[in-house]
Amino acid sequence: MAGSMELPAKGGFCFDLCRRNAMLEKSGLKMPGFLKTGTTIVGLVFKDGVVLGADTRATEGPIVADKNCEKIHFMAPNIYCCGAGTAADTEAVTDMVSSQLQLHRYATSRESRVVTALTLLKTHLFNYQGHVSAALVLGGVDVTGPHLHTVYPHGSTDTLPFATMGSGSLAAMSVFESKYKEGLTREEGIQLVAEAISAGIFNDLGSGSNVDVCVITQGGTEYLRNHEEPNPRTYVSSKGFSFATGHTEVLSTRVRQIGPVVAEGGPVVAEGDVMEEGL
Amino acid sequence: MGDSQYSFSLTTFSPSGKLVQIEHALTAVGSGQTSLGIKAANGVVIATEKKLPSILVDETSVQKIQSLTPNIGVVYSGMGPDFRVLVRKSRKQAQQYYQLYKETIPVTQLVRETAAVMQEFTQSGGVRPFGVSLLIAGYDDNGPQLYQVDPSGSYFSWKASAMGKNVSNAKTFLEKRYTEDMELDDAIHTAILTLKEGYEGQISANNIEIGVIRADREFKVLTPAEIKDFLEEVE
Repeated sequence: MAGSMELPAKGGFCFDLCRRNAMLEKSGLKMPGFLKTGTTIVGLVFKDGVVLGADTRATEGPIVADKNCEKIHFMAPNIYCCGAGTAADTEAVTDMVSSQLQLHRYATSRESRVVTALTLLKTHLFNYQGHVSAALVLGGVDVTGPHLHTVYPHGSTDTLPFATMGSGSLAAMSVFESKYKEGLTREEGIQLVAEAISAGIFNDLGSGSNVDVCVITQGGTEYLRNHEEPNPRTYVSSKGFSFATGHTEVLSTRVRQIGPVVAEGGPVVAEGDVMEEGL
Repeated sequence: MGDSQYSFSLTTFSPSGKLVQIEHALTAVGSGQTSLGIKAANGVVIATEKKLPSILVDETSVQKIQSLTPNIGVVYSGMGPDFRVLVRKSRKQAQQYYQLYKETIPVTQLVRETAAVMQEFTQSGGVRPFGVSLLIAGYDDNGPQLYQVDPSGSYFSWKASAMGKNVSNAKTFLEKRYTEDMELDDAIHTAILTLKEGYEGQISANNIEIGVIRADREFKVLTPAEIKDFLEEVE
C-alpha cells in the first residue's frame, strides 16, 4: 500500500483503513474470512496437577482448514495454554507471552508462575479491548501449586477447578459437570478430559478430528499429541494409484539442459557463507 | 539517542587516528578480574575469578557467568553493571530473533548483534562505550564456538582466550597447553590451572566460577560442589 501510515505512539491498533474497507464492501468486494478455530478446549485440576485437552480441527467458515492442528501452546516448561477463537490471535499472543516469560526467568533465575502468565495475557488482551480474539484455558504447576484459569478476549479471567472454552464448550462442560470430582488420579483425569473433548468433537460442528492431551505435574510435563484418534481417514484403495508406462500416448520428446552440470566432487560451498571476523 | 544538547558523540577521533575513549575502555577491561575461555573438541568452557570486595559479601548472590539462551553463555572482564545491561539486551535480541524466524539464534548471529550494540555506544550522542569485554561460548549446528567481543564492537573467534588483569600470562599459558583435539574435561582442568597461575591467594570452589556447554547444547554454570571435584582432580 503506497503512502506512510503513522502508528499511534503507544502501540495498539490503527483504524485508518476501516472507512476504506467499509466503502469497498459496499461496492461489492467480498472480504476474506479469518481462520476461527471453532474449538473445544478444556482443563481440569487433579490430585497431582492439571490436565489440558483440545480438539484438532481448524475451520474457515464451513471449511475445515486444518484437520490436525495444535491448539495446546507452550508457555513455559511448567505452563501450557489452550487457545480458542482466531487462530492467528491465539498463536501470536501465546508466543509473545512465552517469550516474555523466558526473559523473566532469566532475570529472576526462577521457574515461571501461572499467575505471571495470566497477568501478562490479560493485560495485553485488555489493552486491545477485545479486538484480539483469543479465548484461552491456561494451566500449569508452579511452586505455589497447580493452577487453572480461563481468559476471555476482553481480558477478564476466572480461576476454576475445571473449565471449557470454544464452540464445543457446552458439550464438554456437560461431561465435566456430571463426572468431575476432586482428587482425581492421573488416569481418571486424562480419561475425563478425553471424554469431554470427544463430546465436543462429535456434537459440535466447529470441533473435530483428534484429541490432544497435556498433563502437567510437579515432576514434569507430558504432551500427548493425538492421544485419541476417533476419526481416522479410510482410503478406498490402500495402494493408491498406479500409472503404468504406455497408458499415456507420448506425442513428442525434447530434452534441454537448464543448469550447470555438477562436478565430480559434489556441490561447492559459496565463499560468501563464511562469516567475516575482526572487522 | 541522548538529549538534544548531547546529540554529538563523546567518542571522537584523536589526531593519531585512535578513539581514545575506546582505549580507556580497554584499560578498564584490563584492570578487571581475569576471565578466560577454551574451545574443546566437544564443548566450550568459560571461567572467571570471583574476588569479592569483603568476606561479608554473600557470594551466592553474585553470578558473573550468565546464560543468554539455553545454548549460549557469557562471561566478562571489566565493569559488572555494564555487563548486566548487555546481558539484558542480548537476551531480548535472542528472543526477538526467535519470534521473527522461529529458529533458535545461531551463536554467530547473537555475537554480531551484541557487537553491534557495543559499537552503537561508540558512535551515539551522550553515551560512553561499555567498559567490558565479553567471552561468548555457545554450541549450535556449527559445533562449539567461542567469541570475544571488545568495547569497540569488534569480535573474534578464539580457540582459547583470556581477558583482564592477568591476560598476557594467561594467554602464554594457554598457548602452551592448548591442543586441537582437547576433550572438554581436559579443557576444564586447563582453565582451572590457568586461573590458578595468576590467582593472588588460595583458589577454591567459592572464589571462581566455571560455565560449561557440551554436545547436549545446554549451558550450565557449575555448582561449587562440581567445581570442588574438578579442583581435586587438578591437584
